[in-house]
Amino acid sequence: MTGLLGYTSPLLVAGAHVLPPLTTTLMVGVLLPKALAGSDRAHRTPRLALTAWTLLGVSLIASVSLTALHLLLPAAGSHHLSRFAEACIVSLGAHRGPLLPNGLAGVDTRVWAALCAAASVPAAFAVVLVRELLRARRVRIRHAELLRLVGSRRPGLPATVLQHDTPAVYCLPGRAPHIVVSSGALQVLTEQQVTAVLEHERAHIAGRHHLLVAAARAFGASFRTLPLARLARTEVPLLLEMAADDRALRRCSRDALATALYAVASGQTPPMAFAAGGPSAVLRMRRILTPHAPCSPAPRTVFVALTAVVALTPLVLACCAVPGITG
Amino acid sequence: MRRLGDLEAEIMDRLWRWGRPATVREIVDDINHVRPVAYTTVMTVADILHRKGLLRREKAGRAWRYEPERSREEYTAALMQDALGNTEDRQGALQRFVEHMSPEDVSALAAALRAMGRAPGGAEEPGAPA
Repeated sequence: MTGLLGYTSPLLVAGAHVLPPLTTTLMVGVLLPKALAGSDRAHRTPRLALTAWTLLGVSLIASVSLTALHLLLPAAGSHHLSRFAEACIVSLGAHRGPLLPNGLAGVDTRVWAALCAAASVPAAFAVVLVRELLRARRVRIRHAELLRLVGSRRPGLPATVLQHDTPAVYCLPGRAPHIVVSSGALQVLTEQQVTAVLEHERAHIAGRHHLLVAAARAFGASFRTLPLARLARTEVPLLLEMAADDRALRRCSRDALATALYAVASGQTPPMAFAAGGPSAVLRMRRILTPHAPCSPAPRTVFVALTAVVALTPLVLACCAVPGITG
Repeated sequence: MRRLGDLEAEIMDRLWRWGRPATVREIVDDINHVRPVAYTTVMTVADILHRKGLLRREKAGRAWRYEPERSREEYTAALMQDALGNTEDRQGALQRFVEHMSPEDVSALAAALRAMGRAPGGAEEPGAPA
């Protein structure tokens, strides 16, 4: 056991133990997201790409957290941590013996500080995420309340209708989901197109896409200087739209969905305020209209494997680099 | 079993349709044409709507006369603004079928449709599965 958890080599250059998690932070925070955002394949398999973004996010939080740990933990202090880890393993395995020879008092305050710093990274993100979820929920509850008063139902249409000439289709996700269609949208859309847009919105609700949107927004707010955060904030919502398009296409024709997209978008000018969504709608349109042959299993497996390796390597690396364990 | 929210909608609906202030008695009598509802229930819900800022009221003898604070169209416009607008605090709460786009982006969309051999105007597609 002691051999496995061999203590830090005295020859180790001071500060060098920070390098592995720091490198993984840079890799996960800067290089990999740029590669993922620029990949055509990501847009072909949006659900897989969403998994990759999620894994990158988790890896980044882990590696930033470990960087903090290593920065505060001097090479000498890491002996304590490694003994602590060893004691944990031993006591877990045998259910006997004291956790630490000197009890908790034996652990340096500096080690505690380092552990707290490491824990504060995921904790801070969790706080931002919860705040974002609550904010979105508040907006939705207010919106739903007014919607109940002014919206109307039409026989045979599983959606709330808003009496307004501008075409609009959207959904309120969450526990009491609603799909909303304006009367203007019903005017410009054919029956098949209405089916297509409803399927698209239903896919958002069924996939609980609002949770990932909230996570991407919280991530964007927490790590805003990193390309990963910036790119995830725009890529994740776009990939979710693509995933919803794919699901809608199971029940409707490509033409119906593509022309519905155009009919709603073109009916909305003159503008109220522009969202930065224009080019992404064009990407979606091309994707809907270009049926690519279903991914042949071999390249798909390779992509899955690569994604997993790329996203998990930093985690494994970071965990192995806990001071003292690999020393 | 009707929920309280349905009664709120019924009350607002009547006041918008009538376009004049009305007492709880008038509202109760009108709803009673359709279904039975207790006076006190309507009174309570009207009071809730008043506290939410949706109804304003003035004394008429011993009763209150209620009137919508804003028109149905104004509320609808506010909801559309929520749905289509781009204010920071609205983002991520609602999920739109398509983002609101500039005219240039809409032309790019039309061009993408044409490039694929589809006419942007022609919504119907022959023989497409429903």
